[in-house]
Amino acid sequence: MRHGKRLSGAARGDKSLLTNGLVPAPDKRGVDDLTQEFIAESQDGLDRMERCLTELETRPQDSQQLVAEIFRAVHTIKGTTGFLGFGRLEKLAHAGEHLLGSLRDGRLPVTEELISGLLRLLDGLRAILNLIEETGSEGSRAGDEDSALIAELAMLNGEEAPSQLAEKPAPVVPIKVAEEAPSPASLEAGSAAANTQTSGSSSGDKTLRIDVEVLNRMMNLVGELVLTRNQMLQSGVESTNFPELARRLDSVTADLRETVMQARMQPVGNLFGKFPRMVRDLARTCGREVRIEFSGQETGLDKSLLEAIKDPLTHAVRNAVDHGIESPADRVLAGKSAEGCLRLRAFHQSGSVVIEVSDDGAGIAMERVLAKAVERGLVVPEQAKEMTEREALQLIFLPGFSTAAAVTTVSGRGVGMDVVRANVEKVGGSVELESKVGVGTTLRLRVPLTLAIVPALVVRSGGQSFALPQTALVELVYIPARDREKVVERVGASEVYRLRERLLPMVWLDRLLSLKNETEAHGFYMAVLEAEGCRYGLVVDDLLAPEEIVVKPLSAVLREIGLFSGATVLGNGTLALILDIAATAARAGVKPVMEEQEQEAVEVRQDEASFLVFEDRARERTALPLGVVERIESVPISRVEYASGRALLQYRGELLQLRDDGNVLEDMDGLQDEEASVTILICGDPQTKSGRMGIVVRKVLDVSDGNMLEKDAANGEMDLALVNERLTTIFRGFAGEVGKSWREVA
Amino acid sequence: MKIVAQDSQELSEEAESASLCSMFAGEETFGIDTGKIREVLGKRELERVPMAPAFVAGVVPYRGDVLTTVSFRALLGLPENTETGCVLVLDDDSGGQERFGLMVDGVGGVVTVQQKMLEANPCTLDAKCKWLFDGAYKMENGLLIQLDPQKLRPSRLAETGMFRNGGGGENA
Repeated sequence: MRHGKRLSGAARGDKSLLTNGLVPAPDKRGVDDLTQEFIAESQDGLDRMERCLTELETRPQDSQQLVAEIFRAVHTIKGTTGFLGFGRLEKLAHAGEHLLGSLRDGRLPVTEELISGLLRLLDGLRAILNLIEETGSEGSRAGDEDSALIAELAMLNGEEAPSQLAEKPAPVVPIKVAEEAPSPASLEAGSAAANTQTSGSSSGDKTLRIDVEVLNRMMNLVGELVLTRNQMLQSGVESTNFPELARRLDSVTADLRETVMQARMQPVGNLFGKFPRMVRDLARTCGREVRIEFSGQETGLDKSLLEAIKDPLTHAVRNAVDHGIESPADRVLAGKSAEGCLRLRAFHQSGSVVIEVSDDGAGIAMERVLAKAVERGLVVPEQAKEMTEREALQLIFLPGFSTAAAVTTVSGRGVGMDVVRANVEKVGGSVELESKVGVGTTLRLRVPLTLAIVPALVVRSGGQSFALPQTALVELVYIPARDREKVVERVGASEVYRLRERLLPMVWLDRLLSLKNETEAHGFYMAVLEAEGCRYGLVVDDLLAPEEIVVKPLSAVLREIGLFSGATVLGNGTLALILDIAATAARAGVKPVMEEQEQEAVEVRQDEASFLVFEDRARERTALPLGVVERIESVPISRVEYASGRALLQYRGELLQLRDDGNVLEDMDGLQDEEASVTILICGDPQTKSGRMGIVVRKVLDVSDGNMLEKDAANGEMDLALVNERLTTIFRGFAGEVGKSWREVA
Repeated sequence: MKIVAQDSQELSEEAESASLCSMFAGEETFGIDTGKIREVLGKRELERVPMAPAFVAGVVPYRGDVLTTVSFRALLGLPENTETGCVLVLDDDSGGQERFGLMVDGVGGVVTVQQKMLEANPCTLDAKCKWLFDGAYKMENGLLIQLDPQKLRPSRLAETGMFRNGGGGENA
């Protein structure tokens, strides 16, 4: 009896929904502020709910707290909708709240069906919210789905399940849904939900939550800026305190910049938060068992970058679940646990943020990659045979490549890793792929901390300034005019440079851009650049200072040229165009090269090593293997401190012992010059990362290849090497035994 | 009542007259509605943009933005001037945020013109100039050719495809 009553209630509900949907319809002009706020708040609540739901499944022990959180989200929606007059939303939220209430009171166990049902409730609520945002009314076209959902929720609650279904065993839920809604409709609903989800996030792109504290600080700094400006205007350039004002302006600007950057920073966790649900749904669709683990969610990343890597990351996660992790049966056969593990890791590494997606799945089978590449005509079979593992992995990033044996609904639609790579490189990042068959695959996205300000090298060519992003810069080579004929060699029409016995294609920037050639007699510079796997030498007339540049977008007409990614105002007030390294390579016809060649080359020359040659004592050349030199720092002499007769340097929160065998510091002290600075090589064992020390040198001379000489009596058991055919002492051994291993040389 | 009447009279007068900023390029005098000019920057050195369409004189920094600047001489098909030109900043009032610069040989002053003195383009004008010009005012000391800033927008110019390889008749 109760059952019949309930059904009629639902039917009546539908009617009232219809009228409800129609009443606000005339007012379709838009959504008022109050509703807008409500939508934003509710979306936040639903995001939280989504997170909690997926957590609930993995950590049932915390269920009480999680359920309370979910309950709050739904309850808030219900409360506010009633007030705003969205009847349909209220009804659905009410049904959800009812079920959650039972769950909270411990009357229901947490089951997979229950969570699926709650997720459907979440989708339903979200769909209505999006409808309200788009049209201003909650509409009625999907009213029937609501009643189905409400009935499902009620049934999950153990209430009056329809009699014909009540006799069936527990897993009736999915069947029931299939019966009530024809499958095409449910599919449509699913895709609609996915669509609304993306549109919802796009409206979120434009807004950003900022801590009021940060905003206050910004305001303070802007006030400071105004005050400084006033003082500057009043005092004029000639005034005595002008330098001080300029300094203040400098510090205020730096602070302001930092604060604004901080405001733009968003924890990566915001992005990760979307994945548990996605992975859960995907795992269902693909018949996998997947556990997802996070680390480094608090790592901050610029808002715009976070948006930029969202799609590539989503794609990578999809790939990992669909192609990476095997089906439970296969996993057990392979001796692994049935449940696959997907790890998302974010961390800082040398000025950029690294985001790793790794799975412990089947890995990428080289044969399949190669077979596919041959089939797609990306390589010829002969080439494929000779390819190494790493080379083959690079093929995955080529356009039109997908290893999925069959096109599934999840992935393998031709939008592949090439798009991932292109998107990440667009924001100045890079992508790496590592894979071991049977062990797993790791995809590493490396993105800069922020987009707006990038370190760059400013160069001149044809009388114009250009900025090259430091991320693409590998090294710089100076070619004196007299050597030009000798070092620039020709292969057909193209010119190449022999860089460490490898031929590097040379691209003349002035010729490429058809600039007026102002040939200078002194020689030219070549910047060795690498982007999208292309390595080439860009020839420019002169190098200016490295600068942190603020990237300004170009107008559409200039973007169309395709060679410049933006422009920047330099310190001297002139403009410089920022060169798009990858596009320049493409324009010049430089093709990606395989890294392996270089690796092999390195192996061959193992007895030969690169040395950093410097002068510590006058007239004497000393060298260090390049591998142990971390940085070359120029340090003001005043920063060198002394303790019990030993020179020390505070370097990045670490106390470094300084070796000063050439008595450089003493000589410098003799000069009585406060502004003077010394050059210090920061050295450390690359393997152990311990035993760091600083070596004070007079002058850094060169980086060169050399041969170690064998120790014998003739040279007095010293470590000597021939670098550029000149005798050079080798400074060696600092891990631990700093003092002892320091060799005296005549 | 009286005040209202005065207002309406002024309004009607305003509708009939317009204030144009006069500027020079080659031998001719041109004018742009002062309301559409954001700022006259004066003589500026531009940073050239290699490989850009011929009508782009270069880029110039302006209030934290990088402005694409159109060379009016190039549009007219005149040879490049050896002297530095004057740069005007024009606003795009069509809603888009596209501000741009216009480089001319020199900027005169503000001229008030009467609507009735405006005459449409002569029908013998070639297509490029027809696009650029918006009629001419018959002034006492010669003709003042009216320009429509909307049509000088770099993106519009690129769309027409007429000025890709330098403007003007013989030069193209």
